[in-house]
Amino acid sequence: MDYMDIFGVWLSVFLTLSIFSYLYKDNPFYKAAEHLYIGISAGYVAVISFWQQIQPNLFGRLWPRIDVNADMGIFKSAWYFVYDVLNWVSTLGGWLDRSIFPANGIKGFDEISWIYVIPFILGIFMLLRLIPTLGWLARWAIAYIVGMAAGLRFYGFLNSDVLMQVKAATVDFSGDWWSIFNGLILLVGTLSGLVYFFFSKEQTGIVGKVSKVGIYFLMIKFGASFGFAVMGRISLLIGRFDDLIVSNSPENYYATMWLLSAMIILLGIWAFLDKPKPEDLAS
Amino acid sequence: MDLLKKIFIALGSMDRRFIFLLVGLSVLLPKLYPDFFTLPIKASSHSQRVFDEIDALKEDSKILVSFEYGPSTKPEIHPSAIALLNHLFSKDIKVYAVALWPDGNFMATEAFSQVADKFGKIYGVDYVNLGYKPGGEAVVKGLVSDIRTMYTVDLLGNDIDSIEMMKDVTNLLDLDFIFSLSAGYPGSKEWVQFACDPLGIPMSTGCTSIQVTDIIPYVENDQIKGILSGMPGAAEYEQLVQGALSERGVAVSPGKASINMAAQSMAHVVIVLLIILGNITYYLTRKSGKNGGVS
Repeated sequence: MDYMDIFGVWLSVFLTLSIFSYLYKDNPFYKAAEHLYIGISAGYVAVISFWQQIQPNLFGRLWPRIDVNADMGIFKSAWYFVYDVLNWVSTLGGWLDRSIFPANGIKGFDEISWIYVIPFILGIFMLLRLIPTLGWLARWAIAYIVGMAAGLRFYGFLNSDVLMQVKAATVDFSGDWWSIFNGLILLVGTLSGLVYFFFSKEQTGIVGKVSKVGIYFLMIKFGASFGFAVMGRISLLIGRFDDLIVSNSPENYYATMWLLSAMIILLGIWAFLDKPKPEDLAS
Repeated sequence: MDLLKKIFIALGSMDRRFIFLLVGLSVLLPKLYPDFFTLPIKASSHSQRVFDEIDALKEDSKILVSFEYGPSTKPEIHPSAIALLNHLFSKDIKVYAVALWPDGNFMATEAFSQVADKFGKIYGVDYVNLGYKPGGEAVVKGLVSDIRTMYTVDLLGNDIDSIEMMKDVTNLLDLDFIFSLSAGYPGSKEWVQFACDPLGIPMSTGCTSIQVTDIIPYVENDQIKGILSGMPGAAEYEQLVQGALSERGVAVSPGKASINMAAQSMAHVVIVLLIILGNITYYLTRKSGKNGGVS
């Protein structure tokens, strides 16, 4: 195992213990690990999204690879001049290596897809949020995303979650007694649960009684969800303990033991120094 | 009796950090002394269904495995991924991996590196890793119409048309099965809504425990063919795969989920006891509060 691997193990143990230290109370270790986690996650997602989607699927469609010997015409030449300008900007005037905009276009597609100019412009609008005077243009991009997502999801939810689930809630009286009994419970649970969320009528009388039955069904659902949530969190705890145990091996120079000891001592000192002074308490 | 009441009330006002310590120990001890905490694992009907569906696939069938989880949920789902790849490769089924989560790239790469060599599987011939695309349901819709609109290259940067096993695959209709390894959005739900229900492609899932109550209606309605529920589901599936591979003469060591189930069960016992204790204390304090305090 080389030193970089060992450093990685020590770092992962340190960050794990830093997060766990929150169980004692909020402290600088936890804060540092939390900030690092959020920053790295955001950076990682941004880089991956750029190289896996924006560069090959957007820029690749707008500026596909071209035959340099072929006659392109004035319009296409101008379009690829824009490409060269973008390359000049992305390489800081040629100072950096050419990577985002390789020479003669991006490999993957044969023809320019002009329709992709629209998402390209909307993407630029989104970035204009950083300029207060032009920030309003970002609303156009957001409007497109919201509208597209709503339309796209509408069909999926209507088909899979409404129509197919309504069909599943019907009682099949041709089945055996047990399946009919199960079907009836499902039907009563579904209807009473829906009545509980029906706010157009005061929940008194028969409506109130049915909605009360609905509450019991909802409680069972929440109980099951809570149970599964606990199960999931314990699984994650086991995963971290697994790593901490492996990291405590002689090959890793007992990373867990050393870092845990150091952290307990430092947290002890920090807690001692961080004690509120009597005059603070008085004020 | 009053003494007992006082003990329960004192336990109820115990510092929360003792509870954390207790839960931590309930996980740690079975990990450090596994021989003292061995528990049997019995497959549930849902895990058995997943196994039966995968086992029914013929040699050279094509399955899309979607990696929608990351390091934060790895302990719950990764064992399912390993057991699944063991099962698929032992049956010579071709695996097409995609990721709807950016971290899915790492998870898929790690899973393939753990299993593929053991079965002598070759990249591009027996399995391919297409990698992550952002967009959630939009990516699923893209794969439904034409895989090449979403993927021009695989995760390693190879031209998709130069990959042998991609030659006769245009869209999801060319595949026989979908398996979603899901930790949230986008995940199993999106595969059901935008691929499996509209196209009628069979699908199974291995998901985090917290998702189970959201996914189970699809399973009960046969929109999803079985579910591996978190770590327990993974352990059950591992046992089923291990049994099947042993019958075929393939040696497979016990999976991580099976090893960790004792710790999981012990922690559950401790939590259930704490919930009961908490309820007793609450009942006593409420009652004594009404009577004007503990006498």
